[in-house]
Amino acid sequence: MPTISHPPNEPRHTTISRRDLLQRTGQGFGGLALLDLLLRSEAGSAETSRAGLNGGLHHRAKVKRVVQLFMNGGVSQVDTFDYKPELERQHGKKVDFGLKAAATSTPGAVMKSPFVFKQHGECGRWVSDVFPHVAKHVDDLAFLMAMRSKSNVHGPASYLQNTGFLNPGFPCLGAWLSYGLGSLTDNLPSFVVLPDPHGLPYNNTGNFSAGFLPAANAATIIKPASPEPIPNLRPPATAQQINAVSESAGLALLRTLNQQHRDQRSDDLRLEARIRSFELAAKMQSSAPEALDLSQETQQTQHSYGLDQESTAPFGKNCLIARRLIERGVRFVQVWSGTGGASKNWDNHTDIPNELPFIAGQVDQPIAALLQDMQQRGLLEDTLIVWTTEFGRMPFTQGATGRDHNGGTVVSWLAGAGIRGGSAYGRSDEFGYQTAVDETTGYDLHATILHLLGIDHTRLTWHHNGLDRRLTDVHGHVVDAILT
Amino acid sequence: MPRRPDRSLLYVCLSWLFVAAQLTDADDAGSRAAASVDFERDVRPIFSSRCLKCHGSDEPKGDLDLTRRDSALGAGVIEPGLPAVSSLLERVTTDDEELRMPPEGERLSSAEVDILRRWITAGANWPKHWAYRPLTLPDVPLPQSDKLRQWCRTPIDNFIVSRLETAGLEPSPQADRLTLLRRASFDLRGLPPTPDEVDAFLNDPSPVAWQDCIDRLLDSPQYGERWARHWMDLVHFAETHGHDQDRPREHAWPYRDYLIQSFNADKPYAQFVREQIAGDILDPLNPDAIVATGFLAAGPWDESSLRDIREDSLDREIGRYLDRDDIVTTVMSTFASTSVHCARCHDHKFDPISQDEYYGLQAVFAATDKANRKYDPDPTVARRRAELTESLAALEQQFQSAPTELLTDEARQAIALWEQNLDKEAVRWRPLTVEKAVSQGGATLPPDDQQTVLASGPRPDKDVYVVTATVDLKQVTALRLELLTHPDLPMQGPGRQDNGNLHLNEIRCFQVLDPDAGTTRELRVVEPFADFNQQGWAITAAVDGNPNTAWGIFPAVSKPHEAVFPFQQPATSAGDTRLRIELQQIHGGGHLIGHFRLSVTDSSVELLKTAPRIPLSVGQILGVPVSERSESQQIELAHWFLRDRLQRQLADLPAQQLVYSGTSQFDPDGSFKPTPAPRTIHVLQRGLVTQPQEQATPQALSCVDTLPADFDVTVTAPEGERRLALANWLADEHNPLVWRSIVNRIWQYHFGRGLVTTPNDFGLMGASPSHPELLDWLAVTLQQRGGSLKELYRLILSSAVYQQQSASRPEALQVDADNRLLWRMTRRRLDAESYRDALLLVSGTLDPTMGGPSVRQFIQSPGAHVTPNVDYQNFNVDDPANYRRSVYRFLFRTVPDPFMEAIDCPDGSQLTPKRNVSLTALQALATLNDKLVVRLSEKFAARLTAAQPELDGQIDLAYRHLFGRLPRPEERQPVIAYAQQYGLANACRFLFNTNEFLFVD
Repeated sequence: MPTISHPPNEPRHTTISRRDLLQRTGQGFGGLALLDLLLRSEAGSAETSRAGLNGGLHHRAKVKRVVQLFMNGGVSQVDTFDYKPELERQHGKKVDFGLKAAATSTPGAVMKSPFVFKQHGECGRWVSDVFPHVAKHVDDLAFLMAMRSKSNVHGPASYLQNTGFLNPGFPCLGAWLSYGLGSLTDNLPSFVVLPDPHGLPYNNTGNFSAGFLPAANAATIIKPASPEPIPNLRPPATAQQINAVSESAGLALLRTLNQQHRDQRSDDLRLEARIRSFELAAKMQSSAPEALDLSQETQQTQHSYGLDQESTAPFGKNCLIARRLIERGVRFVQVWSGTGGASKNWDNHTDIPNELPFIAGQVDQPIAALLQDMQQRGLLEDTLIVWTTEFGRMPFTQGATGRDHNGGTVVSWLAGAGIRGGSAYGRSDEFGYQTAVDETTGYDLHATILHLLGIDHTRLTWHHNGLDRRLTDVHGHVVDAILT
Repeated sequence: MPRRPDRSLLYVCLSWLFVAAQLTDADDAGSRAAASVDFERDVRPIFSSRCLKCHGSDEPKGDLDLTRRDSALGAGVIEPGLPAVSSLLERVTTDDEELRMPPEGERLSSAEVDILRRWITAGANWPKHWAYRPLTLPDVPLPQSDKLRQWCRTPIDNFIVSRLETAGLEPSPQADRLTLLRRASFDLRGLPPTPDEVDAFLNDPSPVAWQDCIDRLLDSPQYGERWARHWMDLVHFAETHGHDQDRPREHAWPYRDYLIQSFNADKPYAQFVREQIAGDILDPLNPDAIVATGFLAAGPWDESSLRDIREDSLDREIGRYLDRDDIVTTVMSTFASTSVHCARCHDHKFDPISQDEYYGLQAVFAATDKANRKYDPDPTVARRRAELTESLAALEQQFQSAPTELLTDEARQAIALWEQNLDKEAVRWRPLTVEKAVSQGGATLPPDDQQTVLASGPRPDKDVYVVTATVDLKQVTALRLELLTHPDLPMQGPGRQDNGNLHLNEIRCFQVLDPDAGTTRELRVVEPFADFNQQGWAITAAVDGNPNTAWGIFPAVSKPHEAVFPFQQPATSAGDTRLRIELQQIHGGGHLIGHFRLSVTDSSVELLKTAPRIPLSVGQILGVPVSERSESQQIELAHWFLRDRLQRQLADLPAQQLVYSGTSQFDPDGSFKPTPAPRTIHVLQRGLVTQPQEQATPQALSCVDTLPADFDVTVTAPEGERRLALANWLADEHNPLVWRSIVNRIWQYHFGRGLVTTPNDFGLMGASPSHPELLDWLAVTLQQRGGSLKELYRLILSSAVYQQQSASRPEALQVDADNRLLWRMTRRRLDAESYRDALLLVSGTLDPTMGGPSVRQFIQSPGAHVTPNVDYQNFNVDDPANYRRSVYRFLFRTVPDPFMEAIDCPDGSQLTPKRNVSLTALQALATLNDKLVVRLSEKFAARLTAAQPELDGQIDLAYRHLFGRLPRPEERQPVIAYAQQYGLANACRFLFNTNEFLFVD
C-alpha cells in the first residue's frame, strides 16, 4: 500500500476549491496550465459554478468588476474633500504638532486651503472647487474620511496601498482578484492597467506586480497612445514574411505538430493547455483592438469625457477605455493619474494653489463622466469604482505654499454596486493632520473591495516563503458603514 | 483551531485531478490503518493543518502549544498510553458545539481521529522535528526483489525504489540516449545539445559514455552560468533598487560573476556559504571573498527612506529595520530554509523561533548597509594597500605614543634628500591677508588670524562673496580656495546647505592696480583642479562663464576640500600684490560656502599639479634652518613627511573597483552614511519601531541544538565578528538545516520538485520530506565529499531514477498521480532563460562572452526623477547586447523584461525558491511575436540555408538543431509544404513554438 505523505501546504481535499487548486498546482505540476487555460477557456464556467454566490468565492458577490482610479503622489485631503475651518482660523500661525520633521522638510506655519469649499448634494458633502464635476456626484459616493498610511514615503506607501506591504514583490489587488476569481471573458486579460500617458507612477510596474502569484495574474499594461498599445499582440511590422495567410496556416501547422507530440504524451494536460493558449491568443488579437477603438463612441460621449480638451483628453481617454474594457468583461481596470518624479502628479510640495488645480483639472471631468456613463449604462449594477491615493498632505506649509507628505490621514471614496451613496465614515482631527474617529487603512479598503466581490479577505491566500500570504497581511476589516 | 479553506467548490472540468486527489486521500488513510503511526508523517500534519493557528507557539490558546512536546504532553490533554484520559480525543470527537475542536469548519475525519488515538495509545512518541535532527548517514535500504535490486545504480536508487516497492510501484525504464542528453544538457548548462554533441554521444560505444557526458557538461563554463542563475533567483538578485527611486546599480554584476566562477570552480559549499556572509572578514585580501558579500545586498533598497528623507524621521528608522529584515530573511531562507521572518512581529507561530532570536539575527547585521564598496581586483595590490594602510596606522600610533621614534636615520636622510630638491619641487602657499570680506546676501564674513572666514548670520538663498586681500609677493601665479569644516555648519560643512554642500557658480579674480582709482585687471583662470568634484558639478563649471553651472562637493561633505585656480597670466607688482576675489554662489537653496580660506603662490603652474601640498605649519618649519629646528619641529616635519610619502604610495596604486555589497565601508551619500559602530537593535513589540523593547544581542537559532546559538560576541564587538559568527554557525557540519537545504535545492533543479516541496521552509508548516532518509544520505554524502556540488550532480545524474523515461503509466498514475515517489521522470517546461538562450544557440547567434558588466537589452533614458525610463519595445533587435546569454541581462526591478516575465522569470523583488510555471495566452503572444524571437527565426533560416542547398535538408537540419533528431515523415511533409509556401523563416518561427521544444521529457 502506498504511504504518501502530503505536505501540509498541499491540502488533501475531497473537493477542490479554486483556491486549493491554485495553491496545489501552483506549487506542483501540471495544474497551472489547466488553471489559466482550461479554466479560462471555460471562463464563464468558473462563474457558473459559483452561480449560487453570484460569482463570489466565499459569499454572495455584489460586485463583479472594479475600476480603480489611483492618484499618484498623495492627494491633499484638506484641499479637496476634508474641509477644515480650523485651518482658516489658525492660518499663518505656528502650531506645535509634536513633529520635528516631516518627510522632506521642517514643519512650517498652518496653511488654510486656498480653495473655496461648498456643500454639495443632498448629503451636504463638503468639496472644494478643484473638483466641480465630481462634486455633482457626491450623493453616489461613499467617503472614507480618515484613512491612515503606515508610511510617509512614496515608494513604500504606494506599495502598501496597492499590495498591502511596504516592500516590493507582493501581489497587488488586481492580481489577487485575477487569482481568486478568474476571468469573465476569454477575449481580454482579466487585469488591465492604464498608466498616465506621461509616464509610469512611483515604483513603476512594481505597483501592479503579480508578485509571487503566477504570471497569469500579472497586469496587462495598455498604453493607448503608443503605436503598440499591447506589446506582442501582433508580429513586428518589420517582419515582411508574416501576413494574415501565413499566420493562420502557421498556427494550423503548429497545432498539427503539437497534437502529434501530445498524442504520445496524452496524460500531460499542460501540453493540451499550451495548444489552447494559441487559440486564446488569437481571440485576444481580434478583441483587444476593438476594445480600444474609441471612434465607436458618439461625439457626445467623447465630449463628456473631455476628449476634446487638451488637459482632460489623456485621462479622459483612459477612463473611457476603462469603461469599454469593463463592458467587455475585464475584471479589474486600474487607471493612473500622475507619473513618478517631482511634477505632473499629486505630489504638490511647492505650490498647492497652482499645482493642485492643474492636476485635478485633468481628472475631474473625466471621473464625473465615467460615473455618469457607467450609471446610465447600468454598469454600476455590478461594478465598483474606487478613487484613492497613497497618503495625504500636511496641514502646514512646506516652503511658501506647498504641503509635505502626511500618512496621518487621507480620503478615499467608492461608488457603484453595494455602496451606500452619500455616506461618509471616519473623521480626521480639526487640522486634518491625523485620523481622529473611525480610522480606516488601506487594508480595510482592500477587505471591503474583496468583500463586495464575494471574497473573505482572510481566506484568499498563497503560501510563499513560509507564510500564507494575503492581500491584507494580518489586518483589515470590512467597512460595513458604507455598504448597502 | 483553524478553519479549513473553503471546500464547497468543485471544478467538474478538472475531474482527473479530482479523482487523483480522492484516490491519494483514500490510499493514504488505508495505509495508515495498516501501518504503525509515524508522528512526523501522520500526526504532525493534522496538528499543522487543523490546530496550530490557535495552538501555535505565539500566545497559544489555553496555554496549549502543539508545536512543543513539553507543552502538549501531560496535563490531561495528551496522556501517553492513555487515550481514555486524553482530553484531546474528547474535544475532537464531542458533539457539544461549545467544546468541539476545531471550533469552526469541518470536523476531523474519522481516519484522522483514529491516527491520533493510535498515536496516543502507542505512547505518543514525539520526536524532534525532522529538520532540526542531527545529521547521520542512514543505512542504504535493499529492495526485496532481485529485479529492483539490479535496477539500482547508486544508493539514491535504493532509497527511491524501496519506497516504490512498498507502494507496490515499479520504476520506469531508462530513457533513450537522446532524451537523456537533452535532459542533462538543459539541467547542467541551460542549453540544448548541438547536433555534433548528439552524434558524438549517440555513437559513443564506451561503457562509461554517460559518465563522460556528465563530466563534459560539468566542465563546460556554461554550467556555472546556468547554476548562478538559479542562485540569483534564491537571493533575489537584481540591479536596481526596486522602490520609487529605482536607481540602477552599476556595480552589482561582480557578484554575479563570483557566482558563476564559484560554481565552475566547484567551490566547497561551506566556503561558499561563509564567503557570502563574511568573506570580507574571513579573507580580506581576497577580492573574490569581498565580492561574495554582494549576496547581502542582492535585494531591494529603499533609497527614498534610507537616503533622501529626513535622517531624524520615523520613516528612516522603519526603513532601516525593513532593510535588515530583507537581509536576515535572505540569509536564513537561502541557507537554512527557515522562515525566521515570521518572528518579526511576534514569536514564530509554528516554529520554535522567538522574537528575541529574530532580532538577534538583525543585530548580526547591525552595521551592514547596501552600498558600493571599494576593493582591489588584484590580490597583490590588495596586499600592498593593506600594508600601506597598516603602516599609516602604525605611524599615527607611534606619533601618539613615542613621537621621538619617528626620527630614525632613514627618515632624517629621506627628509634631507627631499629638502635638497624642494625648491624645484614644492609649492608654498601663502594665505591672503583679508582686508575686507563682504556678503552681498547679508551674511557676515569675519576673517580670523589664520585668515579663515566663517560665514554666519542669515543664510540667504543665493550670495556673492567679495574678498579684498593682499599678499607680500611680487608675483602670483595661482589662487587656492580651501573649503574647511566647522562644527557650527550643517553636517559640519563645508557648505551652508542642510546637507553640507555648496555650489560655486563662478569665481572671478582681479588684481587691484590702484585702490584709489579703482582700476583692476581680471586674472583669467585656466585648467582649474579640485580634490573632489560632485558628479556633474565639476570645478571647470566655476570658470566657464556660465552662471547656470557650478562646482559642488556632494556627497563628500563633512570634510575639507580645495580647488586651485592657475592664472593664464600671473599678477605682478612692485611690492605687495592686492587682489579682489568674487565668489558667485547663485544656484539657490542656500548652497553657500560656509568656511574657507584663500591662498596664493608664486610657483610655476606646472609645479602646482605635481608637487606635494605642504601645510602651512610645515612650511614654517622648512623656513627654519635644519640645525635650528627644535625636536618638536623635527617630529612634526617627519610625521608629515612620512605620512605624505605613504599616502602618495597609496595614491599610486591602481584604482580600486566597486562592488555593490553588504558592508559598513563606503563613501557617504548625503545622509546615508556608514555607521561607525553597530547600531543598537531593539526587539520591537509587534514589529513597530515606536515600541522598542530590550536591546537585541547577536545570536543564532536555539532550535538547532547541535550547535550553540549564543555567539561569543558582545553587543560592543565589531560588526565583522558578528557576521563571521553567523557564517560559521551556518556552515558548520553540525548545522543540519543548511546541508539538508542545499541538497534539496539541487534535487529540485533536477527533478522539478524537491524531496521537501517547500524549499525555503523546513519548519512545521512546510512540507515533510518525501524521502527523509535519502535527504539525509545526500546531505551527509555532500559533506563527506568535501562539499563538492559537482560530485552531487554526478551522483544524481548517474542514478537510475534520473535516467527514467517521463512517459506516464496508468497503474502508477492511479496510485501516485503527483509522482511524489518518482516512478518516472518529470517532464519540465523550459524556464525563460533556457528558452531564450536555446533560441540564440540554435540560430547560431549566441555570443559566448562570459562575465563583465551586464548588458542592457532596453533603451535607457533620463526619467523625471531618479528612476530612468526603460524601453524594451523600441530596443534595436540587432544590438549585440541581445545576443549575450540571459544571465548577463541587466535586471531592472520595477520594469522587468516583459518577454521574460511572460515565461515566469522573477523580477528580483522576492526570493524565488521555485519558479511558477504558467502557460498563458499572453505567453503564447510573446513567444510568437516578440521581436527577438522573430529575428532569430530569420537568422536560423539563414543558417540552415547556408548549410543545406535543398529545403529537405534544411528542415532536417532544423530538427537536428531544435530536437536533436530527424523529422518523422508525418512531420517532414507538412513542415516542408508550409516552408515552400511561406518561407523557411516562418516555418522556423513556428518550430520555435512547438511543445517539443519548450518541454523537456
